[in-house]
Amino acid sequence: MGPVRGRHLPGAREPIAVSPFNRVFWRPPVADEVDDELSFHLEMRVRDLVERGMDPVAARREAQRRAGDVERTRVTLRGLGTGRNRHMERTQYFGELRQDLAFTARQLFKNPGFTAVALLTLALGIGATTAIFSAVYAVVLQPFPLREPSRLMLVGEVWEGTPQVMSVGNYVDVNAAIPDFEQGLSALNYASYNLADETAPERVVGARVTANYFDVMGVRPILGRTFTADEDRPGSDRVVVLSHRLWTRRFGASAAIVGRELRMNGAGYQIAGVMPASFDLTSDSEELWTPIAFTPAQRAEHDEHYLTVNGRLKPNVSRRQVQSQLDAVALRLRHDFPKDDETISFGTVPFVERFVGDYRQRLLTLLAAVGLVLLIACGNVANLLLARGAARAREIAVRTALGAGQGRIVRQLLTESLVLALCAAAAGLVLARGFLAAVIAWSPNDVPRLDQARIDPIALAFAVGIALVSSVICGLAPALRASRRDPQTALRDGGRGSTGGLRDRLRGALIVAEVALSLLLLVGAGLLIRSAIALQRTDTGFEPHGVLSARVTLPATSYTEPARIQETLRRIDEAAAGIPGVSSAAITSFAAMGSGGGTNGLVPEGRAPVAANFINSTLRVITPGFFATLGVPIVKGRNFNDGDRANGQRVMIVSARLAAVAFPGQDPIGKRINCCEPGPAGQKVIVGVAGDIRSRGPAVAPRPEFYLPLPQTPAVAWNWFRTLYVVVRTTGDPAALVKPLNAAVTRVDRDLPLFDVRTMDQRLASSLATARFNTLLLTLLGAIGLALAATGIYGVIAYFVSQRTQEIGVRIALGATRGSVVRLILGQALRPVVIGAAVGVAASLAASRVLSSQLFDVSPTDPLTIAAVLATLVGVASVASAVPARRAAAIDPTRALQAE
Amino acid sequence: MSDSRQSMTNTSSELLHGTLDTLVLKTLTAGRRHGYAIAAAIEHTTEGVVEIEEGSLYPALYRMERKGWVEAEWGVSELGRRAKFYRLTPKGRRQLAAQSAEWARFAAAISRVLVNP
Repeated sequence: MGPVRGRHLPGAREPIAVSPFNRVFWRPPVADEVDDELSFHLEMRVRDLVERGMDPVAARREAQRRAGDVERTRVTLRGLGTGRNRHMERTQYFGELRQDLAFTARQLFKNPGFTAVALLTLALGIGATTAIFSAVYAVVLQPFPLREPSRLMLVGEVWEGTPQVMSVGNYVDVNAAIPDFEQGLSALNYASYNLADETAPERVVGARVTANYFDVMGVRPILGRTFTADEDRPGSDRVVVLSHRLWTRRFGASAAIVGRELRMNGAGYQIAGVMPASFDLTSDSEELWTPIAFTPAQRAEHDEHYLTVNGRLKPNVSRRQVQSQLDAVALRLRHDFPKDDETISFGTVPFVERFVGDYRQRLLTLLAAVGLVLLIACGNVANLLLARGAARAREIAVRTALGAGQGRIVRQLLTESLVLALCAAAAGLVLARGFLAAVIAWSPNDVPRLDQARIDPIALAFAVGIALVSSVICGLAPALRASRRDPQTALRDGGRGSTGGLRDRLRGALIVAEVALSLLLLVGAGLLIRSAIALQRTDTGFEPHGVLSARVTLPATSYTEPARIQETLRRIDEAAAGIPGVSSAAITSFAAMGSGGGTNGLVPEGRAPVAANFINSTLRVITPGFFATLGVPIVKGRNFNDGDRANGQRVMIVSARLAAVAFPGQDPIGKRINCCEPGPAGQKVIVGVAGDIRSRGPAVAPRPEFYLPLPQTPAVAWNWFRTLYVVVRTTGDPAALVKPLNAAVTRVDRDLPLFDVRTMDQRLASSLATARFNTLLLTLLGAIGLALAATGIYGVIAYFVSQRTQEIGVRIALGATRGSVVRLILGQALRPVVIGAAVGVAASLAASRVLSSQLFDVSPTDPLTIAAVLATLVGVASVASAVPARRAAAIDPTRALQAE
Repeated sequence: MSDSRQSMTNTSSELLHGTLDTLVLKTLTAGRRHGYAIAAAIEHTTEGVVEIEEGSLYPALYRMERKGWVEAEWGVSELGRRAKFYRLTPKGRRQLAAQSAEWARFAAAISRVLVNP
């Protein structure tokens, strides 16, 4: 506390010149004031008149006459007096507020270090919390732009415990049998469209949907109409509904577009309508819709499972009611289609739940982490304020001595806390905008709705509220204690105050909490970092370096004959292999990472063809170059070759995992497996065994997989995969092959655009993007938490040393060595750190389980991580307290003793 | 008390409406006074031409207190009774100067009309 400047101390009563402000509190009630004043007037008048010689009775009468209607005057004056008092109180309030604000500004500017640390700490906490909460809100909590989204269900065949896609036949039968869905069930199948009109050809992802799809979802077009039931039939299905995004991007949001023709996949489609922007649910959701127009043959097909089916529960119908109806249909279908639907069952899952997926948990984890940072920040500021409050005991004592009431002092301190929190809120808002932009920019592309995230005012208010409460409580507590003390003792104390020092339990508790919280954060970050390292080291089973991959769609409109499809793919394969610099090339229905890769149920020879014996296995249709291009070894038998023709012996290569499951302990070569198509064509002979691939990303263990040669692709497969991958390997930079590969495909058919052109390294990286993003964010939050905790520890110890300079000086003068002084300070400092660390370890052992779904190859209670974090934390805490401890040891006893 | 005088009071009070403030402020230039003293001073100075009723004096004082032209405090009257004393503030002093100047201008204008034939 600096010199006392009386004229600046708000609330200090000037003893002589009484200002009008301070007298407000002394006023008698207005009614008494008015009565007193009027009766005084009357009596003075009577006295005057009597003095002039009037008879007292007459004088009173005359005075009353002169007074007029006293009752009315009384009423008027009471009104005026009340208004006057209120006005003057307000004036006083604002006058004092101005004083308080001016004093606060001086206080904050006088201690720029304190101000900067407190502001920055709070702003960081507020900014990070607000940004992450806004992201969570956009993805998880924000209502969906669909009518009553809670009634919207995904309905599917239960596969590995959850409802998935359906076959057309099952969809048709379920839809006919269940009345409890409003508008019936809708079906959707994703498809690619090659747009080719006046502007450049472009490939977009769209969906073929049933006519009731939009009604089931509960959205209306902003322009034109959706499909009619008549258009949802083969032959009359050349109509298209555009998404808002495609409409604005390609057609300049022109209203005249409705009714015009759009060339897609080599055919003309009439544009029926445009959907609202809110129906662009994610930044990569489908961009147009055409009728699905099932053929009678498709309607009868029960074994090709690719439809996404949605239904809207009628009001007051529960999922359980619908489930019992679904079970009844499933029972009938098992009976009617014993081969295709032998074990069929159906289930529902809320659309919203499926849509948001596991981002809910990831984002909520992140939110919890950010909440911890906010708490640490608040703890820090609380600590700073507590320390300062104790240091200000003398100032407060002076003000009390000068006549400031406790209320007045409390108000002043409240003003300081408020100003601090509000400034921090403003800075926090700026930070939040930056953080949110960074989160959106760094996050993986497929997080639904994240691109719609805006700073959420409620989140901001909440974060500011917490900051306010903590700073107000911690700003007030020490001050109240100080103002209650006898000012004389406080002044005699020389401002050191008996509340100072580490003995203050509250401050110690705050350090304990901060250390525990940051340990929790760091353990989380550490576990994710260890997972990331483990993922990086995982052998995916293929060699991604030097491989370029791209996708191409053969439109159903221009490629109807399987023979033509085969021929075109063979020519693309040839053209790709012929590119200079390409060492090998292949066509495959599925590369690895990313979309594609259907599964089939396989029946190994010697087992009954019942569902219980099916081995679910991922299918790849490939050309022989596949294994060389992706660097997958053939561990046994042979590769495909030109001899594996369409009408020849049906052959198959199986992955090592499939071989082990299908023929445990036997040589799989030459064994037969039945799959994929009915009749003798379903009987395949195993000619080779390939190494396992982690096709779904490094974190997912290899599953059984099998390969069929392209010429032997079952004709029915072209119904559901028309998009294939072209992969090429080079010894040079694969990115340099993008142009030549495009040119090679265009030479085969100039209406076939390549899309999703990426190196395999990029695909691998993006499959890890979500994990990496979470790791990055949590590490960042952990680092912030650690820095804040270190600042807090430093601040408290530095304060402790500065408050006890004299005492330390005495100790040194009495012969204490520098070493013992350092030990004393460090001992005081590290006690709460050690307690906090113990609490933090216990908490992290209990809490890290929430991370387990995001961990790979590391236990949530990994002792190595916890030990490393402990070492880091204690190390940082020691450094933070060593600096002031050394300052204490360097105290010159003579100067320290003279200082007072 | 004659009837003519009574009517005089009424006329005066109407005339005075708006200038009562000025008179009160002027009276207070001599020092702090309670309400009766103010009324008495004005009555004495105008030799009874102007009589001030409580119903107009006190509302004027309360309003001026609110405006910050006068301030009040409780004190002890010359006869030992508790009374509320009014005092001119710097703001009130400025107000008086402005109003006096305005009144002088007005009075001069009126008298020019009345005096000139």
